[in-house]
Amino acid sequence: MATTLSRSVDSRPTRTQRGVLQRLRISLWMPPLVLISVLALAWQVTAVEMPFLLPPLQDVAATLATELPYYLQNAGITLFESVAGLAIGFVVAFGLAVLTSESAVIRRAVMPVAVVLNVTPLVAIAPALVVAFGFGAAPKLIITALICFFPILINTATGLRSVPQQVLQVYRTVRASRLELLLHVRVPSALPYVFAALRIVFPLSIIGAVVAELSAAGATGGLGTVISTASSMNQLAVVYASIFILALLGVALLGVITLVERRVLRWHRGTTD
Amino acid sequence: MNAGVRLHGVRKTYGDGTVALDDVSLSVPPGRFVSLIGPSGCGKSTLLRLVAGLEAQDHGQVSVHGVSPEDACAAKLIGLVPQTPALLPWLDVLRNVTLPRRMNRRAAARRAEIAGVEARAVLQEPDMLSLLARAGLAEAVHRLPSQLSGGMQQRVAIVRAFGLRPDVLLMDEPFSALDEFTREALQEQLLDLWDELQTTVLFVTHSIQEAVRLSDTVVVMAPDPGRVVDVIDIDLPRPRGQQLLEQGRFHAYEDRVRNALRGAWRVPGAA
Repeated sequence: MATTLSRSVDSRPTRTQRGVLQRLRISLWMPPLVLISVLALAWQVTAVEMPFLLPPLQDVAATLATELPYYLQNAGITLFESVAGLAIGFVVAFGLAVLTSESAVIRRAVMPVAVVLNVTPLVAIAPALVVAFGFGAAPKLIITALICFFPILINTATGLRSVPQQVLQVYRTVRASRLELLLHVRVPSALPYVFAALRIVFPLSIIGAVVAELSAAGATGGLGTVISTASSMNQLAVVYASIFILALLGVALLGVITLVERRVLRWHRGTTD
Repeated sequence: MNAGVRLHGVRKTYGDGTVALDDVSLSVPPGRFVSLIGPSGCGKSTLLRLVAGLEAQDHGQVSVHGVSPEDACAAKLIGLVPQTPALLPWLDVLRNVTLPRRMNRRAAARRAEIAGVEARAVLQEPDMLSLLARAGLAEAVHRLPSQLSGGMQQRVAIVRAFGLRPDVLLMDEPFSALDEFTREALQEQLLDLWDELQTTVLFVTHSIQEAVRLSDTVVVMAPDPGRVVDVIDIDLPRPRGQQLLEQGRFHAYEDRVRNALRGAWRVPGAA
């Protein structure tokens, strides 16, 4: 037993070697780095051969470097629209989820409408909303809120009703009020579901804001407006610089929500690990 | 005498036509430890849910301390220990056991309105801590349920129910998911806590040994339709330690319950 154990250890790298390898985490960052390098190379080749298809990467970097305040200002507008729209969608969806979990009548009334709303291509509603609400912030917030609405509603409603029957029975025998049950039992039970929804909805909120900006170009700014103006003037480098920043925004939002989730749901990680 | 738990002519049928309980009458004096035993479908869990006010009977009366189960629950006279620990995973042990106490704060006033219920001070946090310590959970007070073993989780559920100082404690096969070793240790701790707080206990179980060891009275039930077939008083001295389990008089009671259960299997009229 002891000999087989020591032999299996011998065949592996020594302790110090393994320590260095682990600290560098080569196996973690190497594969994506290789893929990104290959993609960048393919991009450059395409950009040189067919300049109308992709801009050279150095052009994208150059416009980002020289016009950074311009991009940041427009990114700020888009970020505000997406976060504010998400907040509106969250408040409405969460409130409705609570109502549907408390009342079967409201659940039966709301759910079919919510499903229809979900399958409706919201991109198609955007121009209509611009006609209705003009070129201000309103249509952008509405679109973003609508896109975020459904995942939050469904997940929160599911989470609120995920409390095991026997837990409910324990608190029913002490005649806990509906409000007490909601605050102390149902809402905390729903939190993992809510965070799962937020991880879906944060990237969606950026899509919502950009789509709305594309439909109402030239009004209040934002990266969608920048893209639509630049593409009409064949400034591919500006288009891709904006897209690059949008992707960064998405990653940043996802990072923030993951950090908050880790803090709030420490108990939940404990149960699933 | 209207204290304790009383059922009179209780009938309960479910939508699919199953007669869960048919003309069941049972009277449990206060402070007694009563086990309900019987094969699956004999209505023992249904009986417990009726007393807990979680379901309503079709006919007959159920009373707890002379009032309906609903009123008893509103006054927090009833503590429930379900089959699973049913702990809230985001609360540590202490918060789990104190949460029911913090809910329905008007219960104390309602308690005072029910005749004969002594005005008892609600357990304060130090009392809860000593109760947890007696259940062997002193080290676990600030741990989350996921960090506890199954046996420890079930002990937390029992302390949560005892912490309400209920007049009636309802336990639905609380140890059925535990291994035999843990189960016997928990029986001993349950008796220890019960000895101190002296509440009426209705204990549903599948285990003959468990029923005989814990109870003053074993109620044997039979299915199709759910009914009481025998009531056996267990006249054994307390405390009932481990050594009692090997004695002849303990086995004699086990045999009596086993025979009654065998009779319960026979379909009436078919024999």
